[in-house]
Amino acid sequence: MKNFLPDITQIPIRSPFLKRKKSCPLSGENAPKIDYKDTKLLKKYLSERGKIIPSRVTSVSSKKQRELAQAVKRARFMALLPYKMD
Amino acid sequence: MNALNLLFTRGTMSYYEHVFIARPEVAPQQVENIVDDIKKIVSDDGGDTIYTEYWGLKKLAYKINKSEKGHYSLLRIDSSSSTVNEIERIQKLNEDILRFITIKTEEISKEPSVMLKSSEKKDVY
Repeated sequence: MKNFLPDITQIPIRSPFLKRKKSCPLSGENAPKIDYKDTKLLKKYLSERGKIIPSRVTSVSSKKQRELAQAVKRARFMALLPYKMD
Repeated sequence: MNALNLLFTRGTMSYYEHVFIARPEVAPQQVENIVDDIKKIVSDDGGDTIYTEYWGLKKLAYKINKSEKGHYSLLRIDSSSSTVNEIERIQKLNEDILRFITIKTEEISKEPSVMLKSSEKKDVY
């Protein structure tokens, strides 16, 4: 009887931390535009203390991460986002 | 190169987005007057205001010189840089303005900004 079960030892162990080949959620054609007024979108990339989450965690491309950081800083200047949340 | 031919095709005019926060004690009518003053400055200098928007009295994320709330207003103008300098000079002199920001944008649109769009329909992310 042919063994249909995949050989368990061959399956690569997927480490939970590494977001491998995850496409950047902000680039691509129907991605939302980064805008300092869009606090709902920016909040998704802020920690609960209000700090910008590093791109290695959110797997955002470096170009978009720079735009994101600039938008967050502008929103903070215009009191749309807090500098720190305690 | 695109900046250069942009310069030739449209002269030195470019698109700016100006957002300012007015003190909460100020009446919305006065915020309208401030916006009209800016419109006058822009039209005097040959630019034109494409779109204006009033976000209402919003709660600030942190206190700006003792006020918790502020009237937010947005203007999208097509003008030269000297007009923007003039607008910012006027805004600095005006005590009712808590804070303002002027941003050069690539394209300009007449649709409502994200601030009004999201409040109109509750889009679920």
